[in-house]
Amino acid sequence: MNAIADRYAAQSVGSIFLYTHEAHPGENYPHLTSMAQKFRHAHALHDLLQVARPILVDSLDGACHRAYGSMPNMSWIFTQTGLPVYKADWTDARSVESAVEYLLNISERRRTGEKLVPFRVERLDFRNQDRLTFYKGLERNGPKAVKEFREAFG
Amino acid sequence: MTDAELLARYNYDEFVPAKFEPWMNFDSSPTLGKPAPDFPLWHLDGSETRLGEILSRHTYTIVEFGSFT
Repeated sequence: MNAIADRYAAQSVGSIFLYTHEAHPGENYPHLTSMAQKFRHAHALHDLLQVARPILVDSLDGACHRAYGSMPNMSWIFTQTGLPVYKADWTDARSVESAVEYLLNISERRRTGEKLVPFRVERLDFRNQDRLTFYKGLERNGPKAVKEFREAFG
Repeated sequence: MTDAELLARYNYDEFVPAKFEPWMNFDSSPTLGKPAPDFPLWHLDGSETRLGEILSRHTYTIVEFGSFT
């Protein structure tokens, strides 16, 4: 996702990471109880996980996250006026990039005289399920996070 | 639900279905193409902004929601 942010920045595509809550609280990154703690975790995202995009922090009660469906790692694309034009219940860079390419092409198609109107489409995309990397992330949070995930999903 | 209950339930302390499943509400999320709700957000330096203000800076903005995992 960092690479997509870099690749499309010159075409007026912004990219942010919105820190929500700990989906898998553990000994190292426990559940949130204060905004001060939430800022510490958000800073660590930048420092440890190399999230290079601007990181924004939601309120402690997750007002923004909850309003958009509160999935643990979803992605949305918005227009400049705040209209959502893409939403995915999980983040996959290929899926996001495909949407960005499609959206950027709309202006070009209009320039060439196409009369375009919006419509809604549903599509089932496919993402890599990298359990090894995921478990490394859980381990970073602490043994409790690993144990609880194994108990929930095996 | 009181504000305190909401804070405790949203920031659940263990990953068990009874605590995380109530928050999986993507099917009732805002509709594409219709104005979506705006909310206050904070930069890492603590300064306050709004989602709408962030979105107004570019033709399109990708917003990834997430945490450590």
